[in-house]
Amino acid sequence: MNGARLDPGMERGNDVDGHDPAAWREGFQVGLPTLFGLGAWGMVVGVAMVKSGLTVLQASAMTLVVYSGSAQLASLPLIAAGAPVGVIFATAFVVNLRFVIFSALLAPHFSQLPLFQRFYLGHISGDLTTALFLQRYPRTAPERGKLSFLKGLLYPSWVAWQVGTFVGIFLGSAVPTEWQLGFAGTLAILCILVPLIINGAALCGVLVASIVSVLAHGLPYKLGLLVAVLVGMVTAIVVEETRGRRKVGHG
Amino acid sequence: MADWDIWTVIAVLGVATASTRSALWMVGHRVTIPRRVQEMLRFAPACALAAIVAPDFMLGPQGDIQLAVTNPKLLAGIVALAYYLWRRNMLQTIVVGMLVFTVLRVSDVFHNGL
Repeated sequence: MNGARLDPGMERGNDVDGHDPAAWREGFQVGLPTLFGLGAWGMVVGVAMVKSGLTVLQASAMTLVVYSGSAQLASLPLIAAGAPVGVIFATAFVVNLRFVIFSALLAPHFSQLPLFQRFYLGHISGDLTTALFLQRYPRTAPERGKLSFLKGLLYPSWVAWQVGTFVGIFLGSAVPTEWQLGFAGTLAILCILVPLIINGAALCGVLVASIVSVLAHGLPYKLGLLVAVLVGMVTAIVVEETRGRRKVGHG
Repeated sequence: MADWDIWTVIAVLGVATASTRSALWMVGHRVTIPRRVQEMLRFAPACALAAIVAPDFMLGPQGDIQLAVTNPKLLAGIVALAYYLWRRNMLQTIVVGMLVFTVLRVSDVFHNGL
């Protein structure tokens, strides 16, 4: 009796989460145009890692463990300057905060999966893959093929990123330092930053954070960076609320 | 930074990624982020990335503020920003920015000894 009662549920679970080759291919095709860009960006990060003084082994370990381009790039100048580990953690954490929002959107689709699977799927889901997935599946209800579609997006992206990064790591160690290829990492961050400026308030925050980070650059332990982030964030929130109030007042 | 420190940093960065990306996957169906916190989170990454790159564009090799167009990194950054706003292509932007920077550096038109 018990077995009979359990079986339909398990079968349904298998049905929803089982491998669906058509959905996997669909995910792969949707993500295909982004793979080249991901690989190229990975290459930039790979070069930047060895150019900032990491050994080939350390750079390889970093990209496998961290798998977050913006956080890796953000940590490099801090490592080069010998910033304390706490400051590096805080910086990488803040840079990655956007993923908290992304995962809040993505995770409800897969709450039925085993814990470890949820952990690694979350860990390898990035900006692009999240956006592409949510375009295809806006509703959170369990659906056959959903998981395979997500894997078709995530796994090739992971491979493209890692291949690009390893090419960059070995290329970077062959290129003379005076070429300053690390600057490519700074330009890459600039390109990630622009789409994050979602409104006027964010622009104000970004400008203030930039100015404060330059002025406070001399503070010990790279604390100028964290001060700049805080002041920039508060500026953005204050600007947004002031505008909101004004709108309400006029309305 | 010593070898051992860098390995610590790598581990710590792994924790930073896992905690921001995976935490809500693991406990998320029981948690909702308050609207106020979400509003704050929206601005944090942009401010952090700006605070990371701004000194690289605006400070000279000795940590002196260089806002003139004779600063090759600032000039390359402005060109790259304009290019990105125009074409919205990261890879091309990086190539263009590096080209401008490298030409300025190699030709040394501004004689600032980078």
